[in-house]
Amino acid sequence: MTRKWDARDAGREVAREAIQSLKTPPNFVLLFSTIHYDKHGGFDEFLKGVWDVLPEGTPLLGGTVPGFINNFGCYARGATALAVSCPHMDVVMSMGKNTKRNPYKAVKQSADMLQKGFEKSQYQHKFIFNFVSGPEVIKIPGQGYKKVVDSGLISKFILPAYGITQYFLQKGLGREDEIFEKIVEYFPESSMILGTANDDNRGISNYQFYNKSLLTNSMVNLGISTDLEFDVCTTHGMTPSGIDFEITKLSRNGHIIHKINNKPAVQELNRLLKWPKGFLNEKTMTHTILYYPISLRRHGREVPAVLTFILKDSILIPCVIDKGTVSILTVSGKKLVHAMQENLQYCQALKPEFGIVSTCTTILETLGYKINIIKDEISNYFQDKPFIMFLSLGEGTYSPEKDITYANMSFNTAIFGKSKK
Amino acid sequence: MRDDPIELVLIDLLKLDDILACMVARQNMISVMPDQNLFDPSVMEVWDIIKRAMDDVFVVVKEYSQAGLGEIEFRLQDYEVLFYILPDTENALVAIIPALSNKGLIDVEMENARQEINNIRNKQDNERLINA
Repeated sequence: MTRKWDARDAGREVAREAIQSLKTPPNFVLLFSTIHYDKHGGFDEFLKGVWDVLPEGTPLLGGTVPGFINNFGCYARGATALAVSCPHMDVVMSMGKNTKRNPYKAVKQSADMLQKGFEKSQYQHKFIFNFVSGPEVIKIPGQGYKKVVDSGLISKFILPAYGITQYFLQKGLGREDEIFEKIVEYFPESSMILGTANDDNRGISNYQFYNKSLLTNSMVNLGISTDLEFDVCTTHGMTPSGIDFEITKLSRNGHIIHKINNKPAVQELNRLLKWPKGFLNEKTMTHTILYYPISLRRHGREVPAVLTFILKDSILIPCVIDKGTVSILTVSGKKLVHAMQENLQYCQALKPEFGIVSTCTTILETLGYKINIIKDEISNYFQDKPFIMFLSLGEGTYSPEKDITYANMSFNTAIFGKSKK
Repeated sequence: MRDDPIELVLIDLLKLDDILACMVARQNMISVMPDQNLFDPSVMEVWDIIKRAMDDVFVVVKEYSQAGLGEIEFRLQDYEVLFYILPDTENALVAIIPALSNKGLIDVEMENARQEINNIRNKQDNERLINA
């Protein structure tokens, strides 16, 4: 990992540290960086620094994240990399462009590349790492970047404009949930983990790394075929609060809740939570509503999600959902720690060799530096074996046995190793 | 004093967009402070009132640091002032941030800085002991 400020130096250091203990060239390198290098030399320079050190032709993939946890600590600035060298592993890289405009076309582009790569491998066990450009906030003329729009007039403008900006400017939701559902359709026999690229949680810009290319609004995938054992697991610490409601009017694209219990959504949510009118504003948003995720439904599955944008009377949610009964959930720091323990307990049968973990940025917002407790739990499990946990906005796992689990505020592990039996 | 390792930690923190000013301080005394030209100019406009409020908070820090007080913060106008108390001392790492910052991310880097400062202080104490 690196904490250097200069992009080129940081790129060199993170690559050098990642590969220094390997005896053979890496099969692949996963690389995550905070957004800071944008202002300290730029990500082109950062990647040049990485390739100053990395052996030519190494598959490299990753992107910008708000923060990360690795064997050394928890960081909201710097870069980290995981280099894996394994004789029993084939690797294929793929990518798809314009994920916000046309996610299905992007998935097809990426899936075709993955399919061709997988066909060449002799190993039966297949795993796919999915990393998708995350949401980007729309800049409202005269208002800037906002999460709560309390003007009815501006909201009326934004609601129809939302689809237009999504298509033409590729600003808006990441659509990673739709991408995840689609790629599972292509590879139902593979296990997968999902994470999203972001900046420092402002949602203004994010990047994806794909070998020497710096991408935006893209998905990058790493396909692994191996005879190593692996498993994926999603857990979250959310429990029902006992407050339920009915979504009675939902936008056609399934992203905006207009009415709850046949009343304007925000007013009714305030009533249910016993919050005064106008309580949800730009100042209170991160201290209030993120602590009340809701259990949404999608194709019969439970989708715990946070409510990220308020548009006067409507609520914009980060994923596609179905109408129906919804529960408001609660979460506490203790329950989050327990959820991580539960997740690692699930993988006790594996003696880990390396691990990839995606988790929600809101968990860090909830725990602050106490997220070190989570780091200690993971470190105890991996001991001296490498892992990276990166912060995301929309994450999940899939396995043929457990189906899709897409969630916010969750812990998602993909652990590779050998069976203890 | 540019090579004071604690000052270098503070300069590093100041490079984060949301850290408008930072220092290591105790009641009525600033122990280590980077060049004020590195501070966000908007903070300097309200510096006098923030400094007075800080001194009042340090009364509480002094009273409870030995009892395990870890962090304390207050919001004043459009700013938040964060105090990360250095263990077993009346000193704190202090940062001034905008009121609407992503505090979780800042919290992680403030804690990393506190640990770095602690390590530097411990190292300096050990060197003093060896020299004595």
